[in-house]
Amino acid sequence: MFFRTISLVACLASVALLTCCKRPFSDRTQNLSVFRFSENGAPVTMDPVQSATQYANLMTTSIYDQLYEYKYLARPYQLKPRLAVALPKVSEDGLTYTIQIKKAILYADDECFPGGQGREVVAGDFVYSMQRLFDPNARSQGEWLWQGKIKGLDEWKKAGADYSKPIEGLQALDDHTIQIILNKPFPQLTYTFAMGFSSVTPREAVKYYGKEFGLNPVGSGPYKLKSFSTKKAVLVRNENYREEIFDLEEEGYDPETQSWAGLERLHGKKLPIMDTTEVYFMKESMTRWNSLNKGTEIHFGGIPTELTHMVAEELNPLVLKPDYAKKFTAMNLPELGIVYLYLNMSDPKIGHHSDPEQNRRNLLLRKAISAAYDWPQRNRRYYNGIATLFPGTIPPGLDGYDNAFTADMTEPDFEKAKAYLKEGGWNADNLPVLDFNGVASVQNTQMFEQFRGWMEKIGYPREKIPYVPFATFGDFNKKVKQRDCTLIGMAWGLDYPDAENVLQLFYGPNSSPGSNSSNFNNPKYNKLFEESIVMQPGSERTEIYRKLNQIIIDDVPAVCGLSRNSPFIWHKNVVFLPSRNPHGSLFKYALVFDDSDDQ
Amino acid sequence: METLQFALRKLLYSIPLLFGVTFISFFLMVYHGPDLTYSILGKNPTPEQITELHAQLGYDQPFLKRYFLFLKEIITFDFGSSISSGEDVSSILKKSVPISFMVALPAFILSNALGIILALYAANHRGKRNDKIIMVLAAGGMSVSFLMVVIAFQIIFCTSYGLNWFPVQGWVSPPPDYPDASAIEIFYYYWYYYWSYVAVPTLASVFVALGYNTRFFRAVIVEELNKDYVRTARAYGVSNRKIMIKHVLKNAMIPISTRIIITIPFVIIAGNLVVEKFFGIPGVGLVTYDAITNGDLPIVKAVVTWTAALYVIALIITDVVYKTIDPRTSYNQ
Repeated sequence: MFFRTISLVACLASVALLTCCKRPFSDRTQNLSVFRFSENGAPVTMDPVQSATQYANLMTTSIYDQLYEYKYLARPYQLKPRLAVALPKVSEDGLTYTIQIKKAILYADDECFPGGQGREVVAGDFVYSMQRLFDPNARSQGEWLWQGKIKGLDEWKKAGADYSKPIEGLQALDDHTIQIILNKPFPQLTYTFAMGFSSVTPREAVKYYGKEFGLNPVGSGPYKLKSFSTKKAVLVRNENYREEIFDLEEEGYDPETQSWAGLERLHGKKLPIMDTTEVYFMKESMTRWNSLNKGTEIHFGGIPTELTHMVAEELNPLVLKPDYAKKFTAMNLPELGIVYLYLNMSDPKIGHHSDPEQNRRNLLLRKAISAAYDWPQRNRRYYNGIATLFPGTIPPGLDGYDNAFTADMTEPDFEKAKAYLKEGGWNADNLPVLDFNGVASVQNTQMFEQFRGWMEKIGYPREKIPYVPFATFGDFNKKVKQRDCTLIGMAWGLDYPDAENVLQLFYGPNSSPGSNSSNFNNPKYNKLFEESIVMQPGSERTEIYRKLNQIIIDDVPAVCGLSRNSPFIWHKNVVFLPSRNPHGSLFKYALVFDDSDDQ
Repeated sequence: METLQFALRKLLYSIPLLFGVTFISFFLMVYHGPDLTYSILGKNPTPEQITELHAQLGYDQPFLKRYFLFLKEIITFDFGSSISSGEDVSSILKKSVPISFMVALPAFILSNALGIILALYAANHRGKRNDKIIMVLAAGGMSVSFLMVVIAFQIIFCTSYGLNWFPVQGWVSPPPDYPDASAIEIFYYYWYYYWSYVAVPTLASVFVALGYNTRFFRAVIVEELNKDYVRTARAYGVSNRKIMIKHVLKNAMIPISTRIIITIPFVIIAGNLVVEKFFGIPGVGLVTYDAITNGDLPIVKAVVTWTAALYVIALIITDVVYKTIDPRTSYNQ
């Protein structure tokens, strides 16, 4: 009797639930102009000066304007004006940049403005935004890009960062003219003005929102933030956004390599194309995959590494299996970056040593590690075999990359490695203990085991390569910056498409806590680097870049290198060509259509 | 009046407990927690920036000074702002705690109610086939990893590989802006999407928790069934149903209610990290986990303090409930 009662109640409840299954507001006209994008991490803040992560950069470049941006489709990457009228006028000595900004560009309406209406963007806003990068209270993560570069800016910070004090090298000559005076030539300056860090920010918003400004961004970009949580951000069209029409040719369309993407549909459309973009932050790859595969949730995402062979017939080029090819468009997205293993050169066990003989032996030890590093196996196991392998630190496609380099040069040579060890007088008894450091994760542990296996093949005792995991990236980064780690697995995403951005990783004065985490300090390298950074692109600079790259290969402060290539897919009714750094947000170009749009 | 006096007395006695909990957690975070400096400063900090930020974050202050500041925050319930995002901690908790509560509540009610029903049934049929089936299923539910259950249920109920009935991830968004939408339509909107998003996490949580609850409740009920008064009641011809519900269950409610009430603070504030991560729910579990791994001390302090305070309140409520269930209980015992 008791069970019968319970069963009856359960059935009634189920029936009630089923009969109420009608979707809410299903009788109303639905707004289908929504693009649903997914990322594998979340930003913590959308304050431009703290947009170091790709997730934060994605949001800031959707909401704010920068002076420049990269053409959507042009490869290699090309800059084009965004807030600026044109590329900068540069003086003959390369020290003075004059930039005109467009008139009548409005910020999105927000309560921080009088009357809630967004005002015009003026040159003074850019000056203010750059000052914030040097304001200690703003906890800027981007200051390093312009440190020592702009006349008077570092001094302004040292003098107390008073916003009312003028800066000689950073001025608004009038409401629409910016002038920048450099201490020395900085050919990459224009690139830096396409980064999220250089977003133009209204001071009213910073003052009004105070500490919570990072969660209440106010920009003049194509979107404004409607809502944000650690799981989802909703961006809606900025009604004050200027008239901007998409032109295929101007964006660098190449029909030979890009016709498969259906980009012709975008021609002539007003930007942003979609009224709303929802960005889902999903760290769990299977959740992201399930949501993408469902068909009614996210439109765009990556194929989890563990599922690539279930989804793809071939990986390079990416060809989906028929069931998936019916639903999705796909491409491998190359990353403009490098994965490498740093060797801490300030550790006398393996790096620089005051004794020339020990220095020689340490060099041979590093060469042995490099020779035994099996990049092809690493690529097959962890990157689906589609990563790009190359020796040295300059990825292919950049100025300074030597086309004579081939992926074969990254093949391991265990016999050669053993020979290096023998030449250096190294054996199982006197080889140093080298701790392998990284953030604790299953994959990192596996990568460590793989690396230790290679070292064992050349006679390195396994107990002399212990794994030192760290609970968080912050802990790991702290130890790296304190020079406490010996072997450091790292990756670097280029901030702009210029090899200077990777070469500076080995420049002596950039040693920890700077970006040179290998603490490499080679006087010849330093001198050549200093020569190159003031040079405009050209054969002379290319030659120096190649020399610098060769020094890295010869001295082995790092074992290089690999550029990741990840498979992404999106629904058939979506037109979107994905790209990561140095591009920022590309949401304004995304189109979700239905078949009736063709009629 | 007696109850109020008892509650106030217990509250006073709990103050050292609160101090102890907050001191230990603060000590652990300060000396063993992550240093947020290197997460905040990014790729290329200078030594000056590191020193500046250390000072801003208060890392250079003596431990006792930092702890006394923390005590002041506890007393005023003002935990400041998140170091990572700058958002007011109270605002973060106001948004995320209700979400975690709404996700956990159905599972809490169902797993306990069903646990009691199944335990009663199993105890009533102890040793027989149905009892054994229930106990085996309970053991099965306890044995399977919760993570595996979450992944499996997500695939079965939410994806195109399975039944595809529910969304894979997400949480209720504000309704579309229809000016002529009625209150009923808006209520239905929230009701519909709430149950869409909560159904599968609830099923997964119940699947695992039900096993634990059923076994525990059954053990307590069986212990009662072996007592003399039950034999006497049967001898007098009292019906089995009346014995089970009016007598046995009532007497078993003391340990059962203890178990239920003590889990309430975790339902209210702790959140469920696995569920929130896999189902994309912006709850307090994920907030707390991120705060701990990032060293965002203000959020950790607030969550620890509130959890400790709720736990104390739960203990007091447990004692009051004892008196309600069994009036013979004295507050002085």
